[in-house]
Amino acid sequence: MPVPQQMGKGDRMGRGPYEKSGLLEDTSLPPLRTITQSYDIFFPVKVEEKDGKKVSTIASDSMDVEVKLWYLPYGTMDDDPFLWKEFKKTVKISTSGK
Amino acid sequence: MKKIFYPLAALMLLVTGCAFCWAAPPGVGRDQTLAAQPKANSIAELAARYDSSSCIECHQQAHDEWAKSIHARSIFGTGRTALTFKTAIVNGAMEWPSSEVKTPKDIKVEHLMGCAKCHLPQLADATDKVAQEIVTTIWDWDAALKKEDFDKAEKFEKTLTSLNINCLICHNRNAITHKWSEGYPKKDTVYGSKSGEHMDGKFTKMAKGQIVSESILCGQCHGLGPNFDQENPTQCATAYGSYLMAYVPEGGNKTCQQCHMKESKLGHDMQSYRSKVMAEKAVDMHVVTNSVYWRDNATIRPKTSVRVELTNHAGHGIPDG
Ligand code: HEC
Ligand code: HEC
Ligand code: HEC
Ligand code: HEC
Ligand code: HEC
Repeated sequence: MPVPQQMGKGDRMGRGPYEKSGLLEDTSLPPLRTITQSYDIFFPVKVEEKDGKKVSTIASDSMDVEVKLWYLPYGTMDDDPFLWKEFKKTVKISTSGK
Repeated sequence: MKKIFYPLAALMLLVTGCAFCWAAPPGVGRDQTLAAQPKANSIAELAARYDSSSCIECHQQAHDEWAKSIHARSIFGTGRTALTFKTAIVNGAMEWPSSEVKTPKDIKVEHLMGCAKCHLPQLADATDKVAQEIVTTIWDWDAALKKEDFDKAEKFEKTLTSLNINCLICHNRNAITHKWSEGYPKKDTVYGSKSGEHMDGKFTKMAKGQIVSESILCGQCHGLGPNFDQENPTQCATAYGSYLMAYVPEGGNKTCQQCHMKESKLGHDMQSYRSKVMAEKAVDMHVVTNSVYWRDNATIRPKTSVRVELTNHAGHGIPDG
């Protein structure tokens, strides 16, 4: 979202339109451009002692990935949030092999 | 003799200059415009000057669509706009040493124009009494809500929504931005896509409005950044700035009207993401996942990487500031 400056000076964000002037930062989606974000999500790993050695195994070979694009017009989930887009997929990791 | 003559001439000029500005105040209030009549002295008078109820019988569809849009409640909004007008007075004007506003009673038209230039441009054609009436009504509405007297609150809400951005704002008062080159909007004319006779009782002519299908019509209220024309600049909507400086440079070539009125099929019901058609057109989300079994002897770090691509197809940033 565009983060307006307070009275056109300093590092404070302006809230109401009467004190907003200028722009400190803008994380809104720019028109006609593609914005890419990547996230690494790790499978939960169990570490156990077996015969005096540490053995790592995966708790599950599948994971439900959910991506939600929320618009929070007033900055918080308590005030009129809007779910814009949603993506769901179950991803798997191999269970055999070294 | 000469020495006496010159100051006298200068004085004469000054007087005629002033008389001229009373007869035809600058701004949109020139000559044969709706704005040029004596200033409206009450909310009811201002609403009557820009009354577009006569348009309904022949333009039912445009009216019904418009009535659903927030333009029909432009100083009330969802209630939040009216409340922010109040905040702007209490936390703004009343706190500022040089605003000459100590209590809400000191509010004049000039103090509200920082908001009204877009939320209610015709306030410029009203007296300070109207500014006072708007302030009192917002205060009374807020007080009624707090007392949970909803009947009363609704009555005040009705008064506030009687002032709005209606047919006569877009098709008359604000239909011409370049008034020296195109002429001032005439009080008997509606500006649209064609010229000729018009069947309305008061607006008996149609004329081609040069900007009615252009982005600048919307842009005049949809903001560029700080409003430097104000003595204490405000900043609210900036969508037109984003359109000019981000959308067009990326190769965008549609007008506001093309997307908001035509392609959306919403006509005069101009909407944001709250309307399903607009939300669907706005953003594409493309997600790619890639699972990787990372391992190093006894350590394993299996993961999935999630790549999210977001593309904004609107004519400006999302969201607007
Ligand atoms: C008695 C019927 C009637 C009334 C009342 C009326 N109009 Fe019209 N209007 C028409 C007709 C008929 C046309 C012409 C349509 C055509 O030629 O396609 C028209 C055309 C227009 C146009 C131009 C449309 C274009 O294609 O560009 C505008 C703008 C307009 N009217 C606005 C208004 C407004 C604003 C009001 C109220 C102040 C109003 N009209 C009242 C009948 C009416
Ligand atoms: C440059 C024109 C302009 C000015 C000046 C302006 N506004 Fe706005 N305002 C808009 C537009 C257009 C919108 C709606 C579209 C958007 O947000 O992009 C809006 C939206 C708002 C909203 C959000 C409504 C909601 O329900 O989320 C509030 C509140 C508001 N304005 C209050 C004010 C106040 C109070 C002032 C004066 C201090 C002001 N505005 C000055 C044009 C303006
Ligand atoms: C926010 C500005 C705005 C308001 C308010 C508005 N109009 Fe329009 N109107 C437009 C624009 C812009 C167009 C031209 C769209 C295009 O480019 O084709 C238009 C087109 C029209 C047309 C031509 C044909 C059509 O229906 O598209 C008529 C008739 C009309 N308006 C009547 C009205 C009436 C009656 C009202 C009030 C109920 C009204 N308008 C309110 C902006 C507005
Ligand atoms: C006379 C000033 C004015 C003109 C002209 C105008 N608008 Fe607006 N518009 C506003 C204001 C003010 C609001 C916000 C009202 C509020 O929320 O309180 C608004 C709201 C909107 C919204 C809804 C925003 C939201 O957050 O829900 C859209 C969409 C919109 N306008 C599009 C347009 C388009 C497209 C045009 C041109 C055809 C246009 N407007 C012309 C002043 C104007
Ligand atoms: C290429 C199509 C397109 C063009 C051109 C376009 N818009 Fe939009 N506009 C959209 C879409 C889609 C949305 C819905 C996304 C949203 O609400 O943020 C939208 C949303 C809006 C909103 C609501 C903003 C918010 O924060 O929710 C306003 C106000 C608006 N447009 C005004 C305008 C104005 C004024 C112009 C011209 C200067 C314009 N639009 C040009 C497609 C367009």
